[in-house]
Amino acid sequence: MDVTLVLLALFSTVGLVFTYLAISERDLVRAIIYSAVQSSAYAVLLYLLRAPDIVLVYLPVAVGLYPAALLFLVGKTEKVDGG
Amino acid sequence: MRRVVVLVSIAVSVALLAYATSVAGALGYLGLETRALARMLLALAYNPGLRELTAMSPEAVTAIVWDFRGVDTLYETVVFYMAIIAALAIYRGAPKVGGGGGIGLSLIAKVVTKLLIPMNIAVAVSIAVHGHLTPGGGFQAGAALAVVSVLLAVVFSASSFSKVGVDVSKAVALRSAGLVAIAVVVFTPLIYSSVTGAQAYLMQSYVKVDSGFAFPVEVFGQLISGTLIWLNVAEFLAVSFGFFIIFMLLSLREDVVRSALVGEEHGSQHS
Repeated sequence: MDVTLVLLALFSTVGLVFTYLAISERDLVRAIIYSAVQSSAYAVLLYLLRAPDIVLVYLPVAVGLYPAALLFLVGKTEKVDGG
Repeated sequence: MRRVVVLVSIAVSVALLAYATSVAGALGYLGLETRALARMLLALAYNPGLRELTAMSPEAVTAIVWDFRGVDTLYETVVFYMAIIAALAIYRGAPKVGGGGGIGLSLIAKVVTKLLIPMNIAVAVSIAVHGHLTPGGGFQAGAALAVVSVLLAVVFSASSFSKVGVDVSKAVALRSAGLVAIAVVVFTPLIYSSVTGAQAYLMQSYVKVDSGFAFPVEVFGQLISGTLIWLNVAEFLAVSFGFFIIFMLLSLREDVVRSALVGEEHGSQHS
């Protein structure tokens, strides 16, 4: 069996599980961390799909800049989702 | 209840996407052979035999992004530029008030980050100047360098920006230098055309059928691919310091800068 397909299935499942955790979590800081884990799984997917240009921009944005921007935002509002 | 709704919506989305992309064929024909458009772009990206059509860059993505559809990337840069201007407009006056404060994280985190930052800068510069040879380019390098601004703000606190000699006005100047450099590269063929009277096109990188104008493709035997290396380096400056501005402004303490942010409206009410 093709190793790439197995890895693609594995990392998309990881991404899916952490998507669920990120959406259902009420603690926004935890949700951001789950979202960053999901993004890391997607970065691996993009690498496996042979898109290294996207990986290079996706990694710093999805793991560094986007969680940082959201954390600053949460710091200015409330830590727990009131909905 | 909340969990059920989330689970059902995720399951429905995945099922819909899976159906659309497999049975319904939303992605079009997915054969194993390369499509005609991709074959053409791969053949033209680096092809010294087709001087009028090639971008002279072995990195097909950079060849497409800054040459074949260069104007598109130019306007993406403009969109990013507008977003930074909006952030600067909202936070006008706030950097002068200060609001850095904070002591950052522990000594261990600080020492590790101090070791990581030079590596981060080296990787970012390497992605920028090799953007026409290997995967990467201006935006990728800019995003990589922008991580340094996040590390400085989170690990060393917002006041660390002034310690390393970067403030908002310097970052704006460096970002503007990048944008001006892009404009210079774009308008150089126009200047050439108006001086010599020969035909040249805006953003032209290499010779065309009816135009002999070309940026140097090699310098000291090193391939620099005409405009591509200059546009990548300029975009690197514009994007990285654009992100620096955003994170410098975001890391200011809300309680300290709030008076500066709402000050004008309050002032106008009383006067």
